[in-house]
Amino acid sequence: MSTHTGEGPDAGTRPAPFRPDLFAGAAFIVLGLAFAIGGAQYDVGSALRMGSGYVPIALGGTLTVLGLLVVVMAFRGGDPAIRDVVRPPVPWRRAGLLVAAILFFGFTVGGLGLGPTLLVTTFLAALAAPEVKPLRAALTAAGITALCLVVFVALLQLKLPLFGDWLGG
Amino acid sequence: MRRHIPLASLACLTMLSLAACGGGDADPASYPEDEITLVVPFSAGGPTDTVARLIAEPMAEELGADIVVQNVEGAGGTIAGGQVADADADGYEVLIHHIGMSTAPALYPDLAYSPLEDFKTVGLVTDVPMTIVARPDFEPETLEELVTYVKENADTVTLANAGVGAASQLCGLLIEQAVGVDLTEVPYDGTGPALTDLVGGQVDFMCDQTTNTASQIQAGEIKGYAVTTPEPVEALPDLPTTAEAGLPDVEVGVWHGLYVPADTPDEIVEKLTAALEVALEDQNVIDQMGTLGTTPVPAEDVTPEAHTAKLEEQIDLWTPIIEESGVTGG
Amino acid sequence: MDGILLGLETALQPSNILICLLGVTLGTAVGVLPGIGPTATVALLLPITFEFDPVASLIMLAGIYYGAQYGGSTTAILLNLPGESSSVVTALDGHQMAKQGRAGPALATAALGSFFAGTVATVVLAMFAPPLAQLALKFGPADFFSIVVLGLIASIALASGSTVKALAMIVLGLLLGTIGQDQFTGVPRFTFGVRELYGGLDFVSLAVGLFGLAEILRNLESKQSSELVTRKVQGLWLTRDDFRRIRMPVLRGTVLGSALGVLPGGGHVLASFTSYSLEKRLSKEPKKFGTGVIEGVAAPESANNAAAQTSFIPLLSLGLPTHPVMALLVGAFIIQGIVPGPQVIEQEPELVWGLIASMWVGNLLLVLLNLPLIGIWVRMLTVPYNVLFPAIIAFASIGCYSIGLNAWDVFAIAGAGLLGYFLIRWGCEAAPLLLGFVLGPLLEENLRRAMIISRGDPSVFVTRPISASLLLLAAIIIVVAVLPSVRKKREVVFQGEDD
Repeated sequence: MSTHTGEGPDAGTRPAPFRPDLFAGAAFIVLGLAFAIGGAQYDVGSALRMGSGYVPIALGGTLTVLGLLVVVMAFRGGDPAIRDVVRPPVPWRRAGLLVAAILFFGFTVGGLGLGPTLLVTTFLAALAAPEVKPLRAALTAAGITALCLVVFVALLQLKLPLFGDWLGG
Repeated sequence: MRRHIPLASLACLTMLSLAACGGGDADPASYPEDEITLVVPFSAGGPTDTVARLIAEPMAEELGADIVVQNVEGAGGTIAGGQVADADADGYEVLIHHIGMSTAPALYPDLAYSPLEDFKTVGLVTDVPMTIVARPDFEPETLEELVTYVKENADTVTLANAGVGAASQLCGLLIEQAVGVDLTEVPYDGTGPALTDLVGGQVDFMCDQTTNTASQIQAGEIKGYAVTTPEPVEALPDLPTTAEAGLPDVEVGVWHGLYVPADTPDEIVEKLTAALEVALEDQNVIDQMGTLGTTPVPAEDVTPEAHTAKLEEQIDLWTPIIEESGVTGG
Repeated sequence: MDGILLGLETALQPSNILICLLGVTLGTAVGVLPGIGPTATVALLLPITFEFDPVASLIMLAGIYYGAQYGGSTTAILLNLPGESSSVVTALDGHQMAKQGRAGPALATAALGSFFAGTVATVVLAMFAPPLAQLALKFGPADFFSIVVLGLIASIALASGSTVKALAMIVLGLLLGTIGQDQFTGVPRFTFGVRELYGGLDFVSLAVGLFGLAEILRNLESKQSSELVTRKVQGLWLTRDDFRRIRMPVLRGTVLGSALGVLPGGGHVLASFTSYSLEKRLSKEPKKFGTGVIEGVAAPESANNAAAQTSFIPLLSLGLPTHPVMALLVGAFIIQGIVPGPQVIEQEPELVWGLIASMWVGNLLLVLLNLPLIGIWVRMLTVPYNVLFPAIIAFASIGCYSIGLNAWDVFAIAGAGLLGYFLIRWGCEAAPLLLGFVLGPLLEENLRRAMIISRGDPSVFVTRPISASLLLLAAIIIVVAVLPSVRKKREVVFQGEDD
């Protein structure tokens, strides 16, 4: 993917641990342990009849070890592929809006129905655009909602109610 | 030539339909006024889906309303069961389910609904026979030989099935119980892969629906021992029934029935039962079920009473077997 | 060869050509929607085919299937939204090409590569179906486990960055694949009592999140909308140089895909991944893979289409479905009153050969339909990004939800999107994770099944000839390819010691 097709690994080293590798390694360790510990709740079984926990524990352990290796990498100069790529800060507000838009869709589409849910979801998503005014976002949302209704309800005839039970539909 | 292409499908794709937001108040006397949804707990194209689509058309004709098939897959059919149990009791959402309805309480201890209390039965639809089959070069030639062989080689014989809670697993449990052995079960994700490995000789034997096995038996790709119904199956005249061949306790069929939410007015249930009865007398339905290796149930079983009795009997049969085997769906 | 002539006679009847065209068009139109992959498209459109007579209905279904696959590749290339495991790989270089204004050549390559592969695979299917099917049956669980291992090892090459991170992403993908009901014991794993998760995470949700949403988040890092994604379009057609570059990748992809597609149990899944890895290994400039090289689109698209075609072999010659779409087809057969089995090719020659021939016709129609459409698809990229990305979110949410009416499939998009965004920021790539996710269940189930059948004796993996040779090949790949790069990495990173 394009992020780390950066300009090559030729630049110098950094003194402090390379933070992206530290984070990535930590994420792998946490997830690996979570799966391994979670897997230990299930029956491990034997080599003949492996239980439900056998494979998750083995893989979780492997991921933890790989995560440790990535952490070691962080202290030894970091991943050359991304070491010299300067990334802009994380767009927290925008990411929050997009995640909220998707979660809102999941939580309400059954109750509110497709129409109202889509309006709110697309409005939240449109607000995440750079330099956007609320009115503009609302117009975008209305347009996309109309398009989606035409495609999914009218053309594809998906069995999704336009208005759900919460609205007395 | 152009005239011969049915354009109905195009029309239905482009038609604007707002019916989905309907529902509304139910007046039992005027039922049905709206589209009815027939919920299938398994994927489109599977055997249960096929049965559902077969009966949907003649039933719709009889009721005078459209019937739309909706596939709600997952968790051994219990997602669909939960959906219909919670649906409005107005007869516009009907569930078709098979033998899994009776095994769900034992397989899923945290089941959110009760098959007996949260539903009204409409009637039985069909009882698909199963067959006991083996890889082509498996030693035993008859069911008697199989029983002896399995007893002598209980350590090495492998018994395939189509996954937890599948009819083939249930039938396998019944065989193990009847023969009195504990075999090595090899689960697969569905009948297709299991049958593939059986044809390829990777596993020894299994028990599965005629729908899936009949053509393979006829072609000699696998060995057939017996059918698990009291009556022989027309498509497989050479196979004895399990009772004839010495395993009378292995009697199992993948029976299907229709359900509506428990509070549905009796008047609506009666209309559905009547429509089902008409559908099962439809010659096309009988013919198509024939290609599946099955038949509609006799008319006296197309009643809520017979259906409830079957459901109760099956729950009583399977619950101890499943509990003893330690199998769980979650 | 009589069979294929009979088939062509059937498939080339004007009414059947029209039916096929209708199927291809519908399949493309639905398949192109973000969040709806080929399998879902076929399931959605299946009921339409029930209205036709058996031959017409299967021809239409084949058309829908190929149309849906092509539609899925289109979305992968234009919007970085893969709808099926096969188009994950297409998105890697295809979307980069689109960003550089070369969406046209990428789409044309996909269409031409698929058509070529489809043509070859149809011939393979027509001439060698029965012996190939018998050969495929020799593949037992142990052999399948070994080929999955081989696929995973070969695919470390998918990553353009660190090998350790790519390995970690594969393992994470394998772990995510264990979520859901354990097929062997029925125990629900990592579902936290949520019944909607019993079936596991949905691949499309995961792919849409890891690729689509993560990409949107990355684009939104820039402050001004004017900075967002250059939308220049340079040419819709392949240059002479492009043609020269895709020739061999298409050929190799076709051969590899045809072979893998025949395997029962999911060989087709491996086709696009392994052919991409192979091209990268063979390339003189492997570093350029992932930055928008046309070989990275040509090889996997050809392999995938060839595999899609040859995966019909077990179904048509043995009546055994080896693929979710094949299982749907079996249902379609049954609805039409035909029980698929070993004899179906003798009992219904017109139907089977008509179906085979119409696959080829369908591929031809796809090229004819889509080459003119490329201009329209590419224009989609000129939609202002401020409008495009909310629309992607909306379409993807509806698409993922509509398949199973399962809100968790929607939540999974958000979760995967966040996970993907941060992991990509930290220099990890999403493609190996998705490969792991797809292959995880295959790896686990075949390992466990093989061990049950061998009664707990692990030597089965080296005493079975097929399995042993596959594992040997995997070992050779490690020695030949991975070790030098690890050694190099050690020099840079570990300063030459243990691991």
